[in-house]
Amino acid sequence: MAPLAASHLTRRFDSRVAVDDVSFELAPGEIFALLGPNGAGKTTTLRMLAGLIRPSSGSVRVDGRIGFLTEAPGLWDRLTVERNLLVYARLHGLSDPARAVDEALELFDIGDRKRDRAAQLSKGLKQRVALARSLIHRPDIVLLDEPTSGLDPESARDVRELILRLRGERRAVLISTHNLDEVQRMADRVAVLRARLIALDTPAALRSRLFGSRLLVTVHGDAERFAALLARDRGDVRHNGRSLSVGVDNVEAAAPGVIRTLVQAGADIVSVVPEEAPLEDVYLRLLEQEER
Amino acid sequence: MKRVAALLAKELADLRGNPAVFVPALITGFFSIVMPFMIAVAVPFFTGERLSDSSDFTIAAEMYQREPAARHLEPEGAIQAMIFQQFLILLVLTPVAAAMSVAAYAVVGEKQARTLEPLLATPITTFELLLAKILGALIPGMILATGCFTIYVLGAAVLAESGVYQTLLVPRALMIMFLLGPLAALAALEMAVCVSSRVNDARSAQQIGALIILPISGLLVAEFTNNLLLTSRLIGLICVALAMLDMVLMSIAIRLFDRESILTRWT
Repeated sequence: MAPLAASHLTRRFDSRVAVDDVSFELAPGEIFALLGPNGAGKTTTLRMLAGLIRPSSGSVRVDGRIGFLTEAPGLWDRLTVERNLLVYARLHGLSDPARAVDEALELFDIGDRKRDRAAQLSKGLKQRVALARSLIHRPDIVLLDEPTSGLDPESARDVRELILRLRGERRAVLISTHNLDEVQRMADRVAVLRARLIALDTPAALRSRLFGSRLLVTVHGDAERFAALLARDRGDVRHNGRSLSVGVDNVEAAAPGVIRTLVQAGADIVSVVPEEAPLEDVYLRLLEQEER
Repeated sequence: MKRVAALLAKELADLRGNPAVFVPALITGFFSIVMPFMIAVAVPFFTGERLSDSSDFTIAAEMYQREPAARHLEPEGAIQAMIFQQFLILLVLTPVAAAMSVAAYAVVGEKQARTLEPLLATPITTFELLLAKILGALIPGMILATGCFTIYVLGAAVLAESGVYQTLLVPRALMIMFLLGPLAALAALEMAVCVSSRVNDARSAQQIGALIILPISGLLVAEFTNNLLLTSRLIGLICVALAMLDMVLMSIAIRLFDRESILTRWT
């Protein structure tokens, strides 16, 4: 059974529909990314999943404990890192709160800062403490609202590594984010939200659905003369300097034939790789389609 | 109750890191202590004119000497005791001021610091959260008030006529300090919490909580003008009324604390 399932979730604020009939399930060990423009209903969805606000209709089924990282770290600035965590360990009713805090400090590598007040921490460290706080009760489901927002690249990488570690521990992770690069690196599945769910699939399937499968071939010298040759058989061929982009039904099946044709035509092939449209293009295309 | 204890410990630790929040209460306490000493001790000392020589206090002194605790006092001591007793009501404002300063930030402060959302994501109930917030403001206020009362009594023991301080240790005085004071502070607190659940600005919460000062000031004025003698029985009745008001306010505070509105309207 999926640890978390949203079924026809809808939330209205007066006449405005913030979230409209959203359904999905999270699997254990899965990183599920929720994408969408500002005001698309991502935070509202997360709040409904975390039980902070009620859906106007629809339901959430939860099997396990939830850890929720809010958009802002929300640490008590005048309290030490250790005290911040200890309060939450007690609020969650853990049997040995002090031990849970020690473990969290060690796991998140913040033990050396435990006596510092939260106000003294950098933004990256605050986020790390906030993440430790949301995981202190060892939740099975982790909801992360913009976990790397505003962080420097090094801190963002640290947070990403922590998230990947959660996947390794078979926890179900849902990330709401604007960071497409992050999604590309980590997400097993992507949902694009604009009040309602526009798309939900793996990044590869979304790419394939919107842009088709393509092979990217790099040759020595100008690729233009080979483009015309390939176009006779393949139809959809674009060239750019030394590169040829060839539209195919199946990358693995088509690659040997494309290579053979080019070699026979005298091309010196440097590389042949599947061409992946950036997730940004996928995302923007989905939003454009939705607007039409 | 473990969750209340956890959040209460956090509230108290948070306050230790922000002692400035008690400045209004310290100022209130300071003037509540200094004023009666000025009137009852300093002015007669520097002018050389005893209070018992003034016709203004004659009737009051006679009235007060009928009180069991004041019967053995000389006329000067009886007047001093009466003044100290009357100003005791003002000392009640110390825990009220302390509690309001803290409580006004109870919900608004958490929201402004964006610490409320993760807190609400824990299993804590609204009652537990508000109880911890209220106790977190009430306990420091009462500690402060007890400190002020101790100084008040010690000051009377050292500076006033012999035996005057003993009139501050009678049930009536102790009821004012340790029953009326906390119950009034609790009412102010709950009002502040009610309002702070609904506004984005801590000052608005403080202003509404300050309404509790009006009836307390009314009691003070009534005593000063000899229109009212706060007997133990009357104080008891006021305390019962305040306790009922506190219960009503607590239920209103819980109803007003709408988690959804707090999270969704204040973003």
